[in-house]
Amino acid sequence: MSTTYGIVAVALVAVATLGIGAFGLRFSRTTSDFYVASRSVSPVWNSSAIGGEYLSAASFLGVAGLVLAYGADMLWYPIGWTTGYLMLLVFVAAPLRRSGAYTIPDFAQVRLQSVRVREVASVLVVAVGWLYLIPQFQGAGLTLRTVTGAPTWAGTVLVAVIVVINVVSGGMRSITFVQAFQYWLKLTALLIPVFFLLHAWSSDGRPSPVAPQDWFTPLGRTDATGLYLTYSVMIATFLGTMGLPHVVVRFYTNPDGRAARRTTLIVLALLGTFYLLPTIYGVLGRIYAGDLLAAGRTDTVVLELPSRMLGGSTGELLAALLTAGAFAAFLSTSSGLTMSIAGVLGQGLARSEQRPGRRLSTITALRLAAAGGILVPLVLALSAERISVANSVTFAFALAASTFCPLLVLGIWWRGLTAHGAIAGMIGGGLCAGIAPVLTIVWGPDGWLGVLMSQPAAWTVPIGFGLMIGVSLLTRDAVPGNVSRTMVRLHTPEHVDVERQD
Amino acid sequence: MSEKISVEAHEAYQRIHASEDFAQLKKSYFGFVVPLTIAFMAWYLLYVLLSNYAGGFMGHVLFGNINVALVFGLLQFVTTFGIAIWYALFAARRMDPIADRLRDEYEQEIER
Repeated sequence: MSTTYGIVAVALVAVATLGIGAFGLRFSRTTSDFYVASRSVSPVWNSSAIGGEYLSAASFLGVAGLVLAYGADMLWYPIGWTTGYLMLLVFVAAPLRRSGAYTIPDFAQVRLQSVRVREVASVLVVAVGWLYLIPQFQGAGLTLRTVTGAPTWAGTVLVAVIVVINVVSGGMRSITFVQAFQYWLKLTALLIPVFFLLHAWSSDGRPSPVAPQDWFTPLGRTDATGLYLTYSVMIATFLGTMGLPHVVVRFYTNPDGRAARRTTLIVLALLGTFYLLPTIYGVLGRIYAGDLLAAGRTDTVVLELPSRMLGGSTGELLAALLTAGAFAAFLSTSSGLTMSIAGVLGQGLARSEQRPGRRLSTITALRLAAAGGILVPLVLALSAERISVANSVTFAFALAASTFCPLLVLGIWWRGLTAHGAIAGMIGGGLCAGIAPVLTIVWGPDGWLGVLMSQPAAWTVPIGFGLMIGVSLLTRDAVPGNVSRTMVRLHTPEHVDVERQD
Repeated sequence: MSEKISVEAHEAYQRIHASEDFAQLKKSYFGFVVPLTIAFMAWYLLYVLLSNYAGGFMGHVLFGNINVALVFGLLQFVTTFGIAIWYALFAARRMDPIADRLRDEYEQEIER
């Protein structure tokens, strides 16, 4: 495809992102603006923004690549990611919003009255965020290289720089506008080419696909490892969504618990609509771009189809549109993640500097944290070996599912949870789910051990829950004294609490 | 993040937590969510099991390039959305009124 079109597309998205961010800047004044957009984002805006941020590189490029490589049963990933929102809706959305906290660590501290729990949760938010940022950065490098021939590091650094500028200048308020715009850009970018591609397919005299028949039958692996892998992906995606820091933080921007529920519903509709499209690209890729599979470049199938199937300037324009969409995916997800990491680190910074006379303002702290917090995943993305986008995202889901899912579900619905239990569960589940990707990437064990390490959620989530419940029962005396009050606050509408600090 | 709270407010919270209504609120929630969660998990598990062990059935071509597996997969999206709407309606109809009543009781107690 033409390099010029690709560069123009990337430049337009970058400029639009910075422009909308600057527009949001006019409204960002207070700390609350920066951290939670003053809790005044309407459900439609908010759900567009959540859609924009949640549909990452793994969704935009990865799903089509998986369908191309493994067939229709890879619908599992998008189903899992969508259903994750259902679990979020049913178990945590409204109570979490009612807790009145800014972040998961805030929630943990309010619920369990323990600074130690807050610290453990903060470390985990940063860990999950970094794990999720690495594939975004790597994917950006790959995309820019595919369409413009630029070196891989260029795309990675470009995304990181734009994200930092936006977060530093406008905080959550800016990010919300940017991400809402990016959802609709991503949807359009996938939708318009699909019409052209499907038309080309039906008119090129190849009504029946040339893909081998076995691809259309759900192959999977018909042994026990295949079943284990699928169930483990399910557990990670279902339960991990509620613990993804950039997703959860968005619920705090809702005005109240009911709006949080409405937001989730709209998000489900937006996600469901979106996920139909990469599947079509995967199917078409099987017919027209089977060689990408052998070359190990399945993640680029979405970007390459237009030039292969249509060619000419139509193909090039559509490819440029898809590039723009992919770039929006990297930017919006990275912005959300950076924002949530910066939120947690920033609060820590502001706290440690709280000395009379010489106090770091919370907004300055957020800005410093955003710039600093992005460095580690940037360096890792540049130095680490590349693994498939969808796979590496699953590790972040598994880590979130093994730590924050038990914390949130038990914290909201079980009054017996203690700070000791929460810490034990988060550290135990977190260590197990954190060692697995390291082992897989560095060592790559074979056989069952390799299978267990490549999709750890099925055994690490029970460990997280088990430790949290077990240790809580052992430390029953340490149940916080105000647990009745917290429970009432979580489960009744916000205005119950006249003292709530909003 | 520990905030000050008056003795009256604290006692009101304790009373609400112990009240019949609050128990009812949590009971109706669990009564709805637990069976629903089990049902939809079973539905997703069924899809996986069929994919693994009933390849012939799932690969059965219905028309054109559309086979049973694909229809099943798309139905998973549809049901996910359906369940979400159902839950939101349930929460608005059955849970929110109780929660609102609790709020009113609380506010009266504090004003007195």
